[in-house]
Amino acid sequence: MENEKILIKLDGRVDSNNAAETEQYITSQITGEGPIEIDASGLEYISSAGLRVLLHIKKDHPDLVIRGVSSEVYEIFEMTGFTQIINVEKAYKVISIEGCEPIAQGANGILYRIDQDNLVKVYKNANALEEIRNEREVAKLALVLGIPTAISYDVVRVGDSYGSVFELLNAKSLSRIMVSEPEKVDWCVDEFVKMLRKIHGTEVPAGKLPDMKETALKWADFLKDHLPAEAYDRLKKLIENIPVSNHMIHGDYHTNNLEFQDGEVLLIDMDTLAVGDPIFELASMFNAYVGFGEMDEGVTKDFLGIERSAAIDFWHKTLAKYLETDNEAKIREVEDKARIIGYVRLIRRSIRRKGLESEKGRAEIEHWKSELLDLLDKADSLTFSANELETDALTENLEYVQEFVKDYLDKIGCPEKTKNQVDIAVEEIFVNIAHYAYKTGIGKAVVRVEITDEPATVTITFMDHGVEYNPLERDDPDITLSAEERDIGGLGIFMTKNLMDDVTYEYNEGKNILKLKKSL
Amino acid sequence: MTINETKNGNELIISPEGRLDTTTAPELEEKVKGSIDGVTDLVFDLAGLEYISSAGLRVLLSTQKIMEKQGKMKFINVSDIIMEIFDVTGFSEILTIE
Repeated sequence: MENEKILIKLDGRVDSNNAAETEQYITSQITGEGPIEIDASGLEYISSAGLRVLLHIKKDHPDLVIRGVSSEVYEIFEMTGFTQIINVEKAYKVISIEGCEPIAQGANGILYRIDQDNLVKVYKNANALEEIRNEREVAKLALVLGIPTAISYDVVRVGDSYGSVFELLNAKSLSRIMVSEPEKVDWCVDEFVKMLRKIHGTEVPAGKLPDMKETALKWADFLKDHLPAEAYDRLKKLIENIPVSNHMIHGDYHTNNLEFQDGEVLLIDMDTLAVGDPIFELASMFNAYVGFGEMDEGVTKDFLGIERSAAIDFWHKTLAKYLETDNEAKIREVEDKARIIGYVRLIRRSIRRKGLESEKGRAEIEHWKSELLDLLDKADSLTFSANELETDALTENLEYVQEFVKDYLDKIGCPEKTKNQVDIAVEEIFVNIAHYAYKTGIGKAVVRVEITDEPATVTITFMDHGVEYNPLERDDPDITLSAEERDIGGLGIFMTKNLMDDVTYEYNEGKNILKLKKSL
Repeated sequence: MTINETKNGNELIISPEGRLDTTTAPELEEKVKGSIDGVTDLVFDLAGLEYISSAGLRVLLSTQKIMEKQGKMKFINVSDIIMEIFDVTGFSEILTIE
């Protein structure tokens, strides 16, 4: 009882005529130790004498809050600098969302269209003012940094919740466009990726936004007791190895949060904005389109409005476009990395929502966990780069590796003969890794392509974590022998050495690193 | 890769088309094994062959070894790109190329 909130109502005018009386009244009302809230909805005017009264109260009760202040009175508080000293909250317009159409479910609230031109985001948290302030700050920051977004212009009460109001004239989300105009899917992919690139290309001044890596490390910690120790250690190390980035990520990027208005696409729901490596963004995108609904197809439809198969297709197209590749192995590489972080988040989310207490929840958690453990088993890193392909060291991935290198050579107009020579060398080295690097289980191989101008050279680097082996030490076959005498093996490395200008090997930090160089 | 075969008595023409690499070489090996019995004249028509790696060369070498015991083997329509590989590996010395 002692810490119960003490509510005091102030009405009419408070000025030098009644200041002393008002102070007495307020003091008489303070009977406990609880926080004090003054309901100023009936307050019409306050003079400096009245303000001094409030200062006295504030001195003894630092947690004083003044609520329901009219715009006129709020102006007095603001002008005198009181809003900096005392927690003063304006009176909020009350609106109803009865019969309004919910258009998107955000991380911390639901968006409704209240009329043709306005949306309201109703926050889940009953004390959302801090969140609203934060989201507005963040949206302003994004706008200043060049991200087209809508900034709320008013805060309102919606029942017991707070809402923030945005002006969005005749806007339609990309999700809704895909539902009503399926022929525009490819256009949606283009716009979606364009915005994504814009976000990820935006550098944010230090300290302005939370660091997603820290958040992800907390997610991993949350799962500590739910994962085998080895898997947890691995996960933690993988996240720790993601480089820190000052580039923006949205944090909840999906087509419900892109509004098409008057020929322009706007990003909304900015409260999850952060900085970090793009893999974190892709993880939450994977969840929205694929991971979230893996055990219950209806989830995707309820969330995005589009069928699950369309959602998966959209995700795949988006990823291909974002990575600027149609190389399936490259797409799978990045998807698998995104899935690791994505599943961590889904498992945590489900556990926090008491998933372990229901059969459906447990099945879901088990499913995501088994996918996660499979992925962790093979993963070497969670980052990706356009000129690298990380893939399972299996001969069935050979064509993707060759295609990956060839795409680079095609782009620079490399002559057919050189392309063929590189093609062969790439096969020989990759197949060597696939056959010999990993004795048990499946391991990864990384292929990196670098092209330098002067002199025009392509360098292809192969890396694996398998057994230490220098293929260049192998004796060359004697090519002067007759067919009958000749041994059938050893040709691959021999050809590689002869077709390339330079081949080097080193073993460094547990990695076999083999480099091929060829002049162009 | 597609592999066409034309048999004419004891003569066999094998025409591999496309890429002869780690993934497709076992296919060619299988085909050759299945049809080489009793063949005295084996011709590889490489007009449609775009690519060959060591895995493909190994199949050609083991076939050569078999044919040296039972007859003759030659290569026709070898493109520059394939010929370069035969040269680098010394295969042009041990194979009959027309």
